[in-house]
Amino acid sequence: MTQTRIAAVADIHMGEDLRGHFRPKLHGIEHRAEVLLVGGDLTRHGTIAEARVVADELRDLPIPVIAVLGNHDYHSDAEQAITSIMRDAGVTVLDDEATILSLNGTTLGVVGGKGFGGGFAGKCASEFGEPETKAFVRHTRQIADRWRQALHGLDSDHRVVLSHYSPVKDTLMGEPTEIYPFLGSYLLAEAADEEGADLIVHGHAHLGTEKGLTPGGIQVRNVAVPVIGTAYMVYSLNAA
Amino acid sequence: MDAPHYVAARVQRALAEDERTVELGIRVDVRGNQIFLRGRVSAPERRLLIEDVAREAAPGLSVHNEITLVEVREPGEEEHL
Ligand SMILES: [Fe+2]
Ligand SMILES: [Fe+2]
Repeated sequence: MTQTRIAAVADIHMGEDLRGHFRPKLHGIEHRAEVLLVGGDLTRHGTIAEARVVADELRDLPIPVIAVLGNHDYHSDAEQAITSIMRDAGVTVLDDEATILSLNGTTLGVVGGKGFGGGFAGKCASEFGEPETKAFVRHTRQIADRWRQALHGLDSDHRVVLSHYSPVKDTLMGEPTEIYPFLGSYLLAEAADEEGADLIVHGHAHLGTEKGLTPGGIQVRNVAVPVIGTAYMVYSLNAA
Repeated sequence: MDAPHYVAARVQRALAEDERTVELGIRVDVRGNQIFLRGRVSAPERRLLIEDVAREAAPGLSVHNEITLVEVREPGEEEHL
């Protein structure tokens, strides 16, 4: 039985002071996993200098690396440049789109993007009232729509969603409930539940917990470094 | 003296917006004239920097730095889904 082993980490928040600290931890990753997913907040301030550090840490790994950006990577309005720097280092950066990898005979489809907030069913913002509120919620809804489309067109043995923001509350446990609307949105889970996926990986909630489940039964894992305490986690999916 | 509520909010905001920290993952609690900082960061310098920024945002209060260091271990066993 062939397995697809997915290594995943988020919130590595690199800066010049951490240069050279992360790469050694990835040594031998090719014996443990077929692909590495990086769930956003690559940097602290979203600067080009920080992005160069991240690129150097992830460059030329023996397995494919797929990443999305996080809110910190948007802080300096340099997200386009950061994306280019990562791509030049051989990292596939997903911005609400899909990619398919062929890994020892099985295909793995990954749909990814930053995601956004809004909260969770019954306790969330809606597109009502002031334009600022509407814009906030609309941003998440549009992202969820793009994920739904990307998943819909995806023909692969396995499907994984890579996000920065959380699709469920489960993995936020440990965070103050007052800030849940800034940590994720149920709209992200809803899109995945409608179209189907084997796993959703995210970060962002540094004080949260690792494991959760969508209402539709998709496994969710929060792989923020402060949560997992390791350089990455490995999740293996059985042959389809 | 400001209400503890506003002090905590001011420190939290300073940690998020100060260029030296840009830190959103720290819990700030104020009890009387004491501030408690809790969370996990990746480098010891960062732990101290957060304390500095918190101190500047709330001068005169005593800061209890309970932030711990994430020691990034080697990855463990894989999980079968
Ligand atoms: Fe983060
Ligand atoms: Fe984040």
